[in-house]
Amino acid sequence: MRQLLSKHTLIFLLVPILALVSSCDPEESKPAPGSLEINFNHLENNDEVVFDEMRYHNAAGNNYEITEIQWFISDLYLITGDGERVALSEEDFAHYIDTNIESTLTWQLPDDIPAGNYAGLAFTFGLKGEKNLQGYFTDAPEANMAWPITLGGQNGGYHYMKLNGFWMNEQQQRTPFNFHLGVGKVEDAGTTNFVQNWFEYIVSSPITVRSNRTTSIELAMNVEEWFQNPNIYDHNVHGAMIMQNQEAMAAGVENGANGGFSVVSISEKNENNQ
Amino acid sequence: MKITSDLKYLIIAVIAVFLVVNLSGCGENPTEMQNQPTPYELPDIPGFPKNLNIPADNPMTVEGVELGRYLFYDGRLAGSSHPDSMMTCATCHVQKNAFEAGIDNPRFPGGKTRGLPSAEYPEGKETPHYMLPLFNLVYNHNGYLWNGWVSEENQKLGSEAYGVPAEEPFNFRNLESLVWMTIEAPHEVNGDIEKSVRMIESIDKYPPMFEKAFGTPEVNIDRMSKAIAQFLRSIVSYNSKFHRYLRQEATLSEAELRGHNLFFSEEADCFHCHGGSILMTTNEYFNNAKDSVFNEERDRFVVTGDPLDIGAYKAPSLLNIELTAPYMHDGRFKNLDEVIDFYSEGLVYSEYVHPLMKNVREGGVQLSDQEKEDLKAFLLALTDHQMVNDPAYSKPSDLP
Repeated sequence: MRQLLSKHTLIFLLVPILALVSSCDPEESKPAPGSLEINFNHLENNDEVVFDEMRYHNAAGNNYEITEIQWFISDLYLITGDGERVALSEEDFAHYIDTNIESTLTWQLPDDIPAGNYAGLAFTFGLKGEKNLQGYFTDAPEANMAWPITLGGQNGGYHYMKLNGFWMNEQQQRTPFNFHLGVGKVEDAGTTNFVQNWFEYIVSSPITVRSNRTTSIELAMNVEEWFQNPNIYDHNVHGAMIMQNQEAMAAGVENGANGGFSVVSISEKNENNQ
Repeated sequence: MKITSDLKYLIIAVIAVFLVVNLSGCGENPTEMQNQPTPYELPDIPGFPKNLNIPADNPMTVEGVELGRYLFYDGRLAGSSHPDSMMTCATCHVQKNAFEAGIDNPRFPGGKTRGLPSAEYPEGKETPHYMLPLFNLVYNHNGYLWNGWVSEENQKLGSEAYGVPAEEPFNFRNLESLVWMTIEAPHEVNGDIEKSVRMIESIDKYPPMFEKAFGTPEVNIDRMSKAIAQFLRSIVSYNSKFHRYLRQEATLSEAELRGHNLFFSEEADCFHCHGGSILMTTNEYFNNAKDSVFNEERDRFVVTGDPLDIGAYKAPSLLNIELTAPYMHDGRFKNLDEVIDFYSEGLVYSEYVHPLMKNVREGGVQLSDQEKEDLKAFLLALTDHQMVNDPAYSKPSDLP
C-alpha cells in the first residue's frame, strides 16, 4: 500500500491541484459579486393602484379604473458613475410583469453583479430586436402577449404592454378601454411602414451592490403618467383601442418615456446563499 | 512506454472500483431493467410551447399511451360488460368531433351528454356544461374544464358527494384527476371506481399491458388514471390548413386570408382571447358579455372567489371549431354563424364584462355580411383533418 503512494500517485494528485492553482489570476482578487432583485409596483399618483374601482381621474378629465397591467421590461443595465453600462440578464433578458400573476412582480436576476456603487439603471420598456420577433416566446403567459403580424410585421412580435380598464364615456357609461402598446403600422402613399415604439428609460438613483448581498430595487410604473405629459391623452378622443392608431400610441409612449417609471426604494435584502 | 507495477496496481484498483460501483447500481433488479417502458416523444412542432404539462410522477411512455388508448375506448371502464351499462371516455369524446360529443351525436342529441341511468337518475344525469375538446392539453398550464377547477393550485382531495376518500390519488390537480372524477360523477359515467378496477383487471389483455407500462401487472385507479392521462396528452393538433400556412406548406384562399386579417385585427379582435399563440387559445378565462344576470354554479368565480370572474369561462381553442358545435359552456349557439353574429351584434353589458370586450357598448364589433363570411372561412381553415383521422388516436380494432 505504501508503494501505491509513490511518485505516480503524487503526480495524480498534484496535476489537478496545479491546474486549479494556475487558473487563479488577478481577476479573482476582485470582491465577490452580489445579486440584484427588482420588485415591480404600479402606482397612481404615488399610491399603489387599487384595481377595479372607478376612482381615478386623468388630465383629460376622464374618470377611469384599471383592471390589469401586463408588460415587458428588457435589456437592463446598471450605469456606473463614469457612465459605463454593465449589461445584466444576458440569459434572461426580458421579464414579463402581470398584475394578475404575483410571481411576475419580482424579478430575481440570474447574474452575478459586480460589487460597487452605481449611479442608476437603464432598461427598455417593451421589446426590441430578436426578442420582438414572431415566435420568440412559445409559452404562456409571455406568448399570450403576441402582437399580430398583420399589425406589426415580422419584427412586431409582442405587445409591450396591455393596460386594460374602463372609463366613463361622454354618455357616462362605464366603457372598456385597451391601452395596448407595440409596433405601429403606418400606411403612407401605398407604402407600409412599421414604427418601433419601444423606448429606453434611465432612472438616476444611487445603487450599491455589496459582495454576497442582494440589492432589492422597487421599480414603480407611474400609471397616471401614460396619460398626461406632454400629451393629454383623452379616452373620449382615442376610444377603446389604439393598436392600429400610431398617433395615439406615439402620444402614450412619449408620455410614458417622460416620468412613467421611478425607483421607489432600494434596500439590501439578505446575504447571498447564506 | 513502460508501466511500472505501482501504476498498474493503481489502474487495476480504479477499474475495479468503477465496475463495482456501476454494476451494483444495475444489478438490483435486472427484471425491472428489461421492462423499462419506452419514453414517448411528442412531435417537435415549430412555434408550439416547450413547457409541457406532464407531472413528474407520470412521464409519457409508448406503453402507457397505448394502455391509455385502450382504456379510453373500452366501455367496460364503467365497471360492467353488459352492453347497456358500458360507457367510457370515448362514449362522449368522439374523435371525428375533435373529441367532443358533437351536435350530431346519435346517443346524445344536440351534444348534451349525460351519465349512465341509475335508480336516482333513470334517464341519466345531464352533464352541467357542454364539453370542451380534447387536444393540445399537454400545452395547458392554466387549469382544465370551463372554469379551471382542475389545476395545480387546487389542494382539495376526494369528494364527499361521490364517496371518494380525501386521499391521494383522488386530487384535482391534473388530467389524471379527471379520470376518477369521470368514473364516479353521476353526470359523467356514473360508475364506481372499485367495480371499474375489478372489471379491468379481470380482462386478460390488461394486466400484461399494465406490466409493460408500469413494471408490474397490478391494476389500480392511480395507474388507470395515469395511462388515460398519458393518452390524452398525446393528442396534439398541429396540421390544420392554418398551421400548414404558417409553415409555408399551404396557401389560404382569398376569403380565408381576408378572414385571417380580420381575426388578427382590432376590428374583429378575436386574437386577444383566442390567438395568443398558434394553439388558438390563451387558456385564460373571460366574461365575454353573453349575459347580464349570473347564477351559474360552475363559472370561474367558483374557483377564484374573485367577483371579476363572475360569468367568466375558458376561451377554448378555435382549432377544429367547425367540429365542436354547439358552442359556449351552455351550448347556446348551434353553429358558427350564430357565434359570429353574437360577437358582431349580440354582446350584453354587465359590470363583470372583461375589458377586452371593448365593443360591448356598441353591442359587438359590427361586422358586415362579407366580413362574417370571411371570418367563417378562416375559422374553417382551423380544422385539423389529420388529427381527427389519426389511427394513433382511434379505437383499437380488437376492443368490443
